[in-house]
Amino acid sequence: MQMSNKVKVIPCSGIGKVFGLVAREAALKTVVELCPEKAETVCLAYIVTGDEEVKAKMKDSGCITVDGCPKMCASKNVSLAGGIVVDEIKVLDTVKDHKGKKFGSPTELSDDGYLVVEEIAARIETRINEIA
Amino acid sequence: MAILKVGILSCSGEECLGGTISRLATRKVLEEMKMVDTVTLCLPLYNAGGKEERNFASVFPTISVDGCDKLCAKRSTEKYSGRINGSIDVSKIIGNENALNTKIIRNNDLKEEHYRMVDEVAGEIVKAISDLEPNSYAGKTFRGCGCGD
Repeated sequence: MQMSNKVKVIPCSGIGKVFGLVAREAALKTVVELCPEKAETVCLAYIVTGDEEVKAKMKDSGCITVDGCPKMCASKNVSLAGGIVVDEIKVLDTVKDHKGKKFGSPTELSDDGYLVVEEIAARIETRINEIA
Repeated sequence: MAILKVGILSCSGEECLGGTISRLATRKVLEEMKMVDTVTLCLPLYNAGGKEERNFASVFPTISVDGCDKLCAKRSTEKYSGRINGSIDVSKIIGNENALNTKIIRNNDLKEEHYRMVDEVAGEIVKAISDLEPNSYAGKTFRGCGCGD
């Protein structure tokens, strides 16, 4: 099985709060649009199954996690799966600079929600270019 | 007083369209179809050891919604809470080719046809809720305290 050297960008995709969707969309913008040659994502739900295929994929891989709440589930689960978390992005760190804005819902982001997505994705891109 | 609840665990897989459809269909059921008191359980938190999520799933009926046939949400629920009351494999509804599409994953990339898939999967979730045995959720209480009560 051939393993990829790409940086893994893994969001929590938390389904109960808007910041889970912000994390998801920011990670996907990075791997689909900004850095498709250097980065990829891996399903978080698959990572935690412990299947041999995903364990091999994660082993010693450089990962950037994106979490929507302080419980830091993406970061915790990636570490448990053997990935090396080189950066932990917290959505809340970015949204605190946008006080009073409405970011949308866990189903659909507003324009302000997508603004935060752009900022976080740019930060992830910078980090990927530093390490890849 | 008994609280009647059904939990839905969606894979929300980030690698393919099936995960996006599973996430949106689960949200649709929560927001628009108020047939029972439905809650969604955060799968990453559940997997990271969230006691409240795991205890909920061991007390109340739970339905997993998976984007592909790896069935990660279903397997996690069975591993940590013992049993699953219903299971949806989105790839069986929208087809493998659609479910494993790695080009269209972001919400902004979705087109009318994808929202029709969301509606179809949401309908299947509702059907799975309707198929639950009434005694699987009646008369139970949950305080989220970690004791499983």
